[in-house]
Amino acid sequence: MKYAASINGNEFTIEIIDEKTVIVNGKTLTVNFDSVSGQPVYSLIVDGKSYEAYVYPGDEDWQVLLQGQLYPVKVEDEREKRLRAAAGGAVADTGEYHMKAPMPGMVVSVSVEEGQEVEKGQVLVILESMKMQNELKSPRAGTVNRIRVKSGDSVEQRQTLLSVA
Amino acid sequence: MFTKVLIANRGEIAVRILRACREVGIETVAVYSEADRQALHVRYADEAYLLGPAPSRESYLRGDKIIEIARKCGADAIHPGYGFLAERDDFAEACEEAGIAFIGPKPSSIAAMGDKAVARATVLKAGVPVVPGTEDVGNMTDEQLLAVASKIGFPLLIKATAGGGGKGMREVVNLDEMPVLIQSARREAEAAFGDGNVYLEKLVEGARHIEIQILADAHGNVIHLGERECSLQRRHQKLLEESPSPFMDEELRNKMGAVAVKAAKAVDYINAGTIEFLVDKDKNYYFLEMNTRLQVEHPVTEMVTGIDIVKEQIRIARGRQLSYTQDDIKLNGAAIECRINAEDPYNGFLPSTGRIEHSLLPTGPGVRVDTGVYPGFEITPYYDPMIAKLIVWGETRGQAILRMRRALEEYRIVGVRTNIPFHQTMMNSHRFMAGQYDTRFVEERFSMEQIEEGRSEFPDIAALIATLVTHDQTQRAAQIVRRNERDTSNWKWVGRWERMHR
Repeated sequence: MKYAASINGNEFTIEIIDEKTVIVNGKTLTVNFDSVSGQPVYSLIVDGKSYEAYVYPGDEDWQVLLQGQLYPVKVEDEREKRLRAAAGGAVADTGEYHMKAPMPGMVVSVSVEEGQEVEKGQVLVILESMKMQNELKSPRAGTVNRIRVKSGDSVEQRQTLLSVA
Repeated sequence: MFTKVLIANRGEIAVRILRACREVGIETVAVYSEADRQALHVRYADEAYLLGPAPSRESYLRGDKIIEIARKCGADAIHPGYGFLAERDDFAEACEEAGIAFIGPKPSSIAAMGDKAVARATVLKAGVPVVPGTEDVGNMTDEQLLAVASKIGFPLLIKATAGGGGKGMREVVNLDEMPVLIQSARREAEAAFGDGNVYLEKLVEGARHIEIQILADAHGNVIHLGERECSLQRRHQKLLEESPSPFMDEELRNKMGAVAVKAAKAVDYINAGTIEFLVDKDKNYYFLEMNTRLQVEHPVTEMVTGIDIVKEQIRIARGRQLSYTQDDIKLNGAAIECRINAEDPYNGFLPSTGRIEHSLLPTGPGVRVDTGVYPGFEITPYYDPMIAKLIVWGETRGQAILRMRRALEEYRIVGVRTNIPFHQTMMNSHRFMAGQYDTRFVEERFSMEQIEEGRSEFPDIAALIATLVTHDQTQRAAQIVRRNERDTSNWKWVGRWERMHR
């Protein structure tokens, strides 16, 4: 199976031939790949060189933490790549954004009102967790349209706090 | 002389104190909240008693309950650790009244150093230099603060009188923005300490945060154990400490050590304590505050001096003389401590909670890990995000850095995100290696974005690993679909099933 992987626009063509053989950018390599006791820690031995990495699923990519560095890797198989090419490139930044609590905690304040225009990076909510006040910022410009929490509320992880359209 | 110690704390420090007690043959009592039933300090202690629900206010801050438990189980001493009740003079006093030894200073010393304004005035009288700021005060109104601000000069810091750990602290660059900042500082101080009082202090620019560990016994002996460099901070929270400081020389160490001893004597200090100083580029030093307790970062001093500070604390509290004189204290080699926090350095250092699924601790020569967590333990939002301290020792600072790099790479924690990559990036930073950093370094001149700067080393390997994971998932998804298919016909299967239930 053929895949296209990219890190910040840097593309790698990777073909998986069988369990032990891969071709990376035209170069054939012998690999031995294993997850370490079922954890998101993976061990890779490639042509005798041993690496270990954490692999976390991101929103649209994999976050690979390797020797103290984080690599955001987008992986597509050939079919997905062709589909995307047919659709005419990347999906635009539209649709509703739902701000979710990144951790359980208590809402200290909601700094915006429904219907308010917000800038990218503007503080929307202050959430207290582990004795620290954390500012949650808008990932893009838009209009706040549904606020589901108020100050003093306890929230669970991933609970939706408000939406920006 | 006491024989059973109750540890009024949780996490790694409770475990640290338990270990010292065990080694000197003292029985140990743990207390715990409902969230900590499975915590390591509960598992390691000889006895353990429930305090109450998870929030600190209803558990680890319940001094009355803790003393009651101590009485009931016959604990004749209490070690408060750091945080929680460690710097509450009323708690130390209540212990005394209950006839329980408090392993720490006298209530009067805690009170004198606990109110930052009183502390400044006290040490100033003893001839210890302090950062210019509001001198006389406890309860200043906003108007008074604004009036005195221009006399001190900008930039300046608003600090909580009852403060610590950077809470209720604000930096002010001009008078216009000051009223708003005073309000938010007061609010935060009120929430954290139940006391909204603040005072002002001149901001020393390019400053280093260097502290001196002292030990004092009840017989008038006071010694210092050299310094700890604590300049690497984020939002006034220390992240990494080392001893000795790369900025320090023998002459300055002796001078500051003598001043620290003087400051401790000014409040009749007994037990272990730490005097924090700000040191500017020209090696002028100013008293910042005294922490009247064991510090988080005490292990770096233990590594270079060979002294077990917690055991000395116990010895002092038992009324005995210090085991060392000032001449015995020699700093050998270099030690570094990295605070491992459940925080995601790639996502604004947001706290990360969850169950520790897997953990592999670094070991080997010169490595020490102080932690209270283990696989299966749940990191809750109720307490501090620090889950472990990784400490290494090396013959030289360079050796210690290399060893820390090795140990950080070995450390695996799965289940929560940690700031280990932050420390790894720091260990590779040229400024850190050269020892050229101040308290602003992390926030102003340090970046996690190595990849964008073209310093990434293994993008091809990362791409390959991600692809193999994707491939694995696709394959497994295909297998799950197939799993429902039976190897025999459904008719045969139904027949067997019916016969089985006949």
